Amino acid sequence: MERRVVVTGIGMVTSIGTGREEFWNNLLLGRSGIGPVESFETSDYSVHKGAEVRQFEPERYALNLDVARLGRASQFAIAAARLALLDGNVQINCVDPHRAGVSMGTTSGEPREVERFDDHYFAETLDQVGPEFIGRYPCNLIAANVAREFGFEGISLVIPTACAAGNYAIAHAFDTLRWGRADLMLAGGSDSFSRITYAGFSRLGAVAPEKCQPFDRNRKGMIPGEGAGVLLLEPFEQARERGARIYAEVAGYGLCCDGHHMTAGDPEGGGAARAMAEALKDSHTRPEEVSYISAHGTGTLTNDLLETIAVKRVFQESAYVIPISSIKSMLGHTMGAASAIEAGTCALALFHDRIPPTVNLFEPDPDCDLDYVPNHAREHRVQVAMNNAYAFGGNNASLIMKKCEGHE
Amino acid sequence: MNRRVLITGIGLISSLGDSSAQLHSALCAARSGIGPIQSFSAEGLNCHLAAEIKSFQAEKYLGRINLRPLDRTSRLAAGAARLALDDSGWSSEMVKREQVGLVLGTMFGSLHTISEFDRRILEAGPVYVSPMDFANTVINAAAGQAAITHKLRGVNSTISTGPTSGLQAIAYATDLVRSGRAKAVLAGGAEELCFQSFYNFDRAGLLCARNPPHRATPFDATRNGFVLGEGAALVMLEAEASARQRGARVLAEIRGHASGYDSSCENEESDSIKVIARTMELALSDAGATTSEIDCISTSANGSVVQDRREAQAVAKVFDARAQNIPVTAIKAMLGETLGASGALQLASMIETMRDGVLPGVAGLEKLGPDFPLPRTTSGNQRIDVRVGLVNSIGFDGQCCSLVITSHEKPI
Repeated sequence: MERRVVVTGIGMVTSIGTGREEFWNNLLLGRSGIGPVESFETSDYSVHKGAEVRQFEPERYALNLDVARLGRASQFAIAAARLALLDGNVQINCVDPHRAGVSMGTTSGEPREVERFDDHYFAETLDQVGPEFIGRYPCNLIAANVAREFGFEGISLVIPTACAAGNYAIAHAFDTLRWGRADLMLAGGSDSFSRITYAGFSRLGAVAPEKCQPFDRNRKGMIPGEGAGVLLLEPFEQARERGARIYAEVAGYGLCCDGHHMTAGDPEGGGAARAMAEALKDSHTRPEEVSYISAHGTGTLTNDLLETIAVKRVFQESAYVIPISSIKSMLGHTMGAASAIEAGTCALALFHDRIPPTVNLFEPDPDCDLDYVPNHAREHRVQVAMNNAYAFGGNNASLIMKKCEGHE
Repeated sequence: MNRRVLITGIGLISSLGDSSAQLHSALCAARSGIGPIQSFSAEGLNCHLAAEIKSFQAEKYLGRINLRPLDRTSRLAAGAARLALDDSGWSSEMVKREQVGLVLGTMFGSLHTISEFDRRILEAGPVYVSPMDFANTVINAAAGQAAITHKLRGVNSTISTGPTSGLQAIAYATDLVRSGRAKAVLAGGAEELCFQSFYNFDRAGLLCARNPPHRATPFDATRNGFVLGEGAALVMLEAEASARQRGARVLAEIRGHASGYDSSCENEESDSIKVIARTMELALSDAGATTSEIDCISTSANGSVVQDRREAQAVAKVFDARAQNIPVTAIKAMLGETLGASGALQLASMIETMRDGVLPGVAGLEKLGPDFPLPRTTSGNQRIDVRVGLVNSIGFDGQCCSLVITSHEKPI
């Protein structure tokens, strides 16, 4: 027996706003969260911009755990999870803890914890390292801390598949609910800004100096960001019975691997195309039925080109009429959180029939010749949304959500 | 969700050999992989023991490829993948034709790579770091590198649930095959031993200390912490139909699994025991098996004072009267705590026990605690006929996973 799975709560912690409403309003307005990096000194770096979450108050959301003992990615995750539960009108004390689980994605886990250790290691002051690292650093703690905050005792796992991790985590939660292994899942992704990630991407020459402009001919790269997105997922019947607001139905997904290169995509977009085709098949969707594609759209020369090629391979002529946008133009690349925040965006697009823009798209790249919803949000009937994500390791993940039928 | 999931091959690299047969014979001979640490200085640390893979040469498994981009975790994973592909009869031609997946469990990925990359930022400055090293700082680097090495183009995923990551990865991959999402998936775990993780485990007080003398013997009354190890193990999981079609040799069948999280882990011991027990019960129910059908248990016990007791109490709770005569082993006595690799290594060992009917004893076990509820935990080997086995993976951090396998000749 396979159960239908729906999204009934959305929690966001982002550089353009915390909570579903603030996030969505700012997204439609095309607001940017990108600014000078404040987490650490960037004078030794070749670039200086980032999309950080500012004025974040973890103690407003972690009511049961001591925030001083939590890494930043765990703090984000707990906040986004609490916001998703509130948004979904779920009373924690009414949840059966054995049937409630957490599935989270991340790229780096809690990098600031290892950076603190490395500071001591480098300064030869290891004797000052306390006992807390093992209780704070391992990436599985991001999900575990969410489970502990809410007392959930079902499956709790982290899928650290880098920049596609959010989609992987949501896909796993979808299967877990569909096959009856749980009745409520918090699923998403979380990552914190870190010097490791910033140094790595800037050394790869992948970071833009000023702004992120996906699909623009003058695009200069991505902008590292941070944040968390968590979706509250539950079976359709349960959501209907409790009178929950249903944003969207999760319809299917496709995962595959290029098996080609750690940091460069398959030059023909083959892996990306396979993941999209698999997602269409899994969700019983014809390509022309898709009404919105949330692009991976990092703003690097190669990603945006390869993704465009892959979309054309899969969608053929319909590729030219499906609106595609990259919200990374506003949020930067939030790593493991990115596709979770984008999945939440797809759910909101389906619910509101509005599509957020790709900002900073002034001069179209002749090789990126699709409809990227430049600079202004658009009203558009969204029946089916596809969320694409690609990652280091050649991982490709596409997720499909639909308007929830049989529900008013 | 009704396809049968068969294990058609095993690849592993451990401190006790690089095949399941070698590992099993070492375990049955009570040989231990644990010894004084050689790969870094343990000066100033409380613990000075580890189960290292000595003289690990990735070339042995991967041939003359460019190994430079692969760090130790990636080499272990890619090496185990090669062995598992060979053992299950997947030629590179077949891998090219089909989409073989890889699901790797790991607690840290390579903490060594991450920390060294970061130290380079501090030492030389951010513009002097290596892009190649950066690619390996992501936690899924080993799964990506192994996929590139062997051209595995199916599902590629990494699972992190702390010390239970390896068994959790197998559970995750089992469902991918059961549901028809994948036909053939390599699944298991990999974990390296490195200074950075060792130092922090030592600081956390989780390792057995030099003073009083090391006693990392699971379930022993005098145990005082665990010893870290390293390794990699992957099993090839295949859907029954396609395994039969290609005439694959079948080693065992995965019948069911379950996972839970002890969200009260720092508070009430009785709550922890309940979560571990429930996870086992759910795995049995997923497998359609009863406690009376389980012939033996591979426990997660590693010498930890609290965790071993909780697991034993949970087994006793689930198995009730049968707890008096259920054969139990704890191979971490000899392999150390290999974290993300441990559950997969336990599974490999269980398959060997099914093959030859010998359950390895718990080396070094002298005296069970006074009210220890599982009397058939012995230092010597036990000769048993195993039709159905239960593998537990329980983390000190509250993660729980249990898996039920059957020997293929004698299904439930």
